[in-house]
Amino acid sequence: MNEPTMIKVESRPEETSSTPREWIRKNLFSNIPNTILTIVFGAFTIYAIRGVLGFVLSGERRWEAVATNMRLLMAQGYPANQFVRVWFTLGCLMALTGLSLAAWKASGRLPATKISIWIMNTGAGLALFAVLAPISAASKLGWVIAAAIFLLIGLGIWFGLRGENKRPTGSMPTVWFSFGFLAILVLSLWTVPYGHYAFVEGELIAETGRTVAMSTKLPFTVMWLILVGSYLFGVRIREYIPSGRTKAVLVGLWFLSPFILNWIVLRDPDFDYAHIASTDIPLALLFIIGGGVALYILSKPSLGEVGRILAIGLLFFAVFNWIGAFFGWYSMLQKVRISFVLLALAALIAPNFASDRKTRLRFVAGWSALIAISHWLITAVNSPSTLELQGPTYLGGFSLTLFVAVLTLLLSFPLGVLLALGRTSTMPIARVLCTGYIESIRGVPLITILFFFSNILPLFLPEGMEIAELAAIVTGYTLFSAAYLAENVRGGLQSVMREQYEASDAIGLTTSQRTGFIVLPQALRVSIPPLVGQAIGVFKETSLVAIIGAYDILRIANSVVPAQTEFLGVKREGLLLVSVIYFIVAFSMSKYSRRLEERVGLGER
Amino acid sequence: MSTEKIQGTRSDMIVCENVDKWFGDFQALKGITATIAEKEVVVVLGPSGSGKSTWIRCINRLEAHQKGTIIVDGVELTNDLRNIEKIRSEVGMVFQQFNLFPHITVLDNVTLAPKWVRKLPRAAAEERAKELLEMVGIPEQAAKYPGQLSGGQQQRVAIARALAMEPRIMLFDEPTSALDPEMIKEVLDVMRDLALGGMTMMVVTHEMGFAREVADRIFFLESGEIVEVGTPEHFFTNPTEDRTKLFLSQIL
Amino acid sequence: MSETSSPSYHHQKPPFYRDATVVKWLFQLGALALVIFALWFLSSQARDNLAARDISTGFDFLSIDPGINLSEGIDTRPATGGRALWVGMVNTIRLATAGILFATILGLFVGLARLSKNLVVNKLGSVFVETLRNIPLLVQILLYGAILANLGDLQFDSGWDNWVIWSNKGLSVPRVFIADGFYQWVVFMIIGAIAARWAYNRRSRLRDETGQDAYPGFASLGVLGAFAVIGWFIHPIFGWVGNIFGGIEDGISKIPEEALQAVLSILAVVLAVNWIRGFLKSRRTPGGSAHLTDDDKFRIFFAGIGAGLAILVVYVVWPGLSSWIINSSSDLFGVLEDKFGNGRTGGPFGVDRPEVVKPGKFEKYGPSGLTMSLGFAAVFFGVVLYTAAFIAEIVRGGILAVPKGQIEAANSLGMKRSAALRTVILPQALRVIMPPLGNQYLNLTKNTSLAIAVGFSDLVQVGQTVGNQTGKNLSVFAIWMLFYLACSLTISVAVNFFNVRLKIVER
Ligand SMILES: Nc1ncnc2c1ncn2[C@@H]1O[C@H](COP(=O)(O)OP(=O)(O)OP(=O)(O)O)[C@@H](O)[C@H]1O
Ligand SMILES: [Mg+2]
Repeated sequence: MNEPTMIKVESRPEETSSTPREWIRKNLFSNIPNTILTIVFGAFTIYAIRGVLGFVLSGERRWEAVATNMRLLMAQGYPANQFVRVWFTLGCLMALTGLSLAAWKASGRLPATKISIWIMNTGAGLALFAVLAPISAASKLGWVIAAAIFLLIGLGIWFGLRGENKRPTGSMPTVWFSFGFLAILVLSLWTVPYGHYAFVEGELIAETGRTVAMSTKLPFTVMWLILVGSYLFGVRIREYIPSGRTKAVLVGLWFLSPFILNWIVLRDPDFDYAHIASTDIPLALLFIIGGGVALYILSKPSLGEVGRILAIGLLFFAVFNWIGAFFGWYSMLQKVRISFVLLALAALIAPNFASDRKTRLRFVAGWSALIAISHWLITAVNSPSTLELQGPTYLGGFSLTLFVAVLTLLLSFPLGVLLALGRTSTMPIARVLCTGYIESIRGVPLITILFFFSNILPLFLPEGMEIAELAAIVTGYTLFSAAYLAENVRGGLQSVMREQYEASDAIGLTTSQRTGFIVLPQALRVSIPPLVGQAIGVFKETSLVAIIGAYDILRIANSVVPAQTEFLGVKREGLLLVSVIYFIVAFSMSKYSRRLEERVGLGER
Repeated sequence: MSTEKIQGTRSDMIVCENVDKWFGDFQALKGITATIAEKEVVVVLGPSGSGKSTWIRCINRLEAHQKGTIIVDGVELTNDLRNIEKIRSEVGMVFQQFNLFPHITVLDNVTLAPKWVRKLPRAAAEERAKELLEMVGIPEQAAKYPGQLSGGQQQRVAIARALAMEPRIMLFDEPTSALDPEMIKEVLDVMRDLALGGMTMMVVTHEMGFAREVADRIFFLESGEIVEVGTPEHFFTNPTEDRTKLFLSQIL
Repeated sequence: MSETSSPSYHHQKPPFYRDATVVKWLFQLGALALVIFALWFLSSQARDNLAARDISTGFDFLSIDPGINLSEGIDTRPATGGRALWVGMVNTIRLATAGILFATILGLFVGLARLSKNLVVNKLGSVFVETLRNIPLLVQILLYGAILANLGDLQFDSGWDNWVIWSNKGLSVPRVFIADGFYQWVVFMIIGAIAARWAYNRRSRLRDETGQDAYPGFASLGVLGAFAVIGWFIHPIFGWVGNIFGGIEDGISKIPEEALQAVLSILAVVLAVNWIRGFLKSRRTPGGSAHLTDDDKFRIFFAGIGAGLAILVVYVVWPGLSSWIINSSSDLFGVLEDKFGNGRTGGPFGVDRPEVVKPGKFEKYGPSGLTMSLGFAAVFFGVVLYTAAFIAEIVRGGILAVPKGQIEAANSLGMKRSAALRTVILPQALRVIMPPLGNQYLNLTKNTSLAIAVGFSDLVQVGQTVGNQTGKNLSVFAIWMLFYLACSLTISVAVNFFNVRLKIVER
């Protein structure tokens, strides 16, 4: 996996107090070799830009193949009449983003200098485009005018706000700058007719006046309103609610959202209410009450080792249920088996809550919430979907890419942390097992692992058990990326000083408390930049699912669109679009990670 | 060499009998035998590398001794998990480098163990923590992070953190040697108050003034052996062993 | 001693569930048992499933005709499964080696460009890096493949005067090939290398003694060059080297199988005993006997078990192991005997220009040039550009990591720029660069597996085809793992070797 190698590079801003003429002289023509370099590579740059523009704007390009299939590329076969679900999903994420921005007090400010330079750069880019692009003189004029407008705005900001040292003063909040930028994008949907056709349910719809932009302009406007509205709302209410609690709730929602949005909203489970009333609810109540009583007893302070032994016994029982089910010795609902595992885990951490009545009751309340949410999710996942689809999966295109990437990251993170702990532990057997696992996974290419899980895994399963293609992919990818994550976390773990362990031991923390409260928080803080790098890697390599037959955006661009009769063999356009989409996401993530890295470096307390 | 015998009465807080400790080939402790009574304050002196830290760390089992017996407050230190747990919550320790947890606030540093080991409710733990911070003289720093405090303040937080577990014994391993002179006094004052309050204390330090004033007894260690034991008066005015005299002549 | 302690406190063993050591090891044994159980369970499932589907496991497909055609390679119609996989491995290695070479060169240049004071060069470098490393490699490979596939048709006069030819069938350049006398020439060159080293040392000593610059590097290169030229003509005098290999081959094939088995098991026992002895020694104290903690006893116990397992493998699990070792090593020396043997009088190398032929209706590349098929070219450009972007960042970071003071110090000593670069900056930068660079080489090698997306016959593509053809996917997977682990090992050994060398330079 090619996560960017993190080498810290200091980039000091150049002093730019010189005049433009001196500046050009210094950076481009300081001496003869430098001048030659400038001329040769300048010519090369112009040639290259002309080449790219010529390629993109050539009359042979069939960009309508992409525009027409935009829906296919983004959501594959998701029924058009159910698209409101997609928008609802996006809306939830927008609301969460807005609230989080408010809760974490996003307080960065963009100086006016920077904004004006950006705008002028855009103008310069447009001017360059107008000069170099192989387009008609008339349209060149249009681009030149646009460039001039941008340059004028930029210069206006520069000179309008000019302070003492010849540079503009003042700044604006980054959040509002981003909102404004998004607003311009959304507004452009109302005015610019992006794409005239749509390829809907196997038919090419080519009504004049009907554009992709027109079909999405309203929803995108609503999305923008939700984002800004929730931010304002968050800012308004943040004084009245303790920030720690808001943040905890938001983190919980972020964590739950992929599961809920994917399995409940997008899939729309067809709940069997009779069954729910007769089986599911009583079962959940049983576990809430029975488990609650058990946990209340197990968190009794005077219980001592007996509690731990009971918990381990419970764990054995919970694991044994799965073995028994595999061999068919006795049957037990999957939901019950999962609940027993949860109960055993809760029992293991129960001694941590062995305190007064209030703490113990709060522990039991947490247990009830856990059971309620997990039972609801399990029921939803196991209910059939109401969405009627042609393909094997209800998700496809870019949505599938995002889904696989997010799920893989969520699942591989805890596994990676466990592996890293195992690899750095003092227990020889655990160390050897973890090291062996990590190194052998890291030794082989991802594609072989994916082949293994899509072709060979079914051979390992017991009779009658099947694993869905997507589940196999996510499983394999998770096991793969956990090995890489583990290495990043290990770096962080090694940076935690031995003295921290000793101090935790000296105040009597248990091993798991020491790990959870002292070691991991410090280790993870150090590993954030490489972990973001890893996340970028995971996102990029999600493209590999195309090879093993999933219909992600790459597969659709590379083999579905070129097979349509209208666009036979039109491949390069789609692939270019895919490149651009991946680039935008990966590039902004890596920019963000570099900022984080600087912050982590600076924020050393 | 001391000739004390193990008594095993309740007033003996720490009993060491023939304790040996090896690091690979190297023997760091050689037949350490000593008894420390309740409310007693002992100071351990000795040249660098003589095993002072090793000994004190054996007493709350940060290091495991290999031979001999250590009994702390009636509990023998063995591989028994329950005993280790018990000792850790009964013996507080203060380190030379403070070893505060840098990622949580001062208040959290002090309340963490009471909340999760002694299972105190949060409110009670915080109240107690504030009292302790008051006692060590820095109540206003509770919301800061350790890195924002001076060395002396950090060390006092470390003392409060150890005291929050309501220990019956406090161990100090050179608590002032990483501090500037003006900060040393702050920390020593706190320790003196603690001693006057009747805490059983075992202190490794090079602060001779403190040793002379506060200690009930002084242990002198060299090459892992107890060379001389005595009251401060005896120790500083007419030590019997040549090695002690040499050490004192260098240090005073 | 300690047994005579006070009567009121006698040592008492805690119950096992409270004993720290026992709990720790029980936990680990439990984990181990769980892993072993899971593996056993899964493999038994696989056995049942395979039996139910009438598929046999094992590696017999390696010697059976798989009935497949490969797009390219040393043998496009392999007679056995093993041969097919071998062709795939050669293709992978070819791709990876070429990729590593070109990615390093390109990455070095781009990295230096990123450090250039010239604005145009600098920005070009940044755009190169940021664009290429943020687009997934697979997308790039497919895009390059699609672009190449839209080049013009192959014609007799496409390209630069028959030195380089390109078309939608790929790219063809002149080929340098290993000719008859190559191996004997290599023997000659080894002697040349020794001589060059000797010249280097002599010259450096001269420099140290006289203080004059004696150009040891140039001297040794000159010696090596002279050997290369002379060896071109007189290499057949080394024909006898082949006989030595022949002798070794005979010797190995006479070793009885039982002897090797015995040697292997004795080796396992000796290793275990040695380890235990060393361990006990490290635990011994001047005071007398070793102080073994319970932990130590467990460790010794497991070392013993390891030796037992090794013997079990040699005699029971894989009894053919020793005969396999004997056969393959004697085969290896047989091949060497042939390659180095007498009667090979041609030059070591030759050069062929590419050509276009028209055997049937369509033009195609003739065998004489070095032809990159479409698939090869797509993957090659993909991995080279992608990896070069990462290498450029590594190079830049490595050079920036050399403190400014070092350069100033070198300047203040009056060193020439080139000397400062060679003796001060490069060694320090290389130390930072080498480990992540090795990592990138590994990544590149693994990334060649994406060739399957454009139908280039690398190991993974061939393996996938063979696996689907014969149903031996599991065995193919094992071969994949072994191959890539071997590649990883090779590269990390090479990188480590350089690292050790660099540490010496540092001293
Ligand atoms: N973990 C260890 N591994 C090996 N040797 C150790 C270890 N810890 C301590 N030692 C050795 O044990 C001896 C005693 O060390 P200790 O730290 O107890 O000395 P000290 O009296 O506290 O010295 P100082 O006054 O410098 O702190 C030293 O020689 C030291 O090298
Ligand atoms: Mg010490």
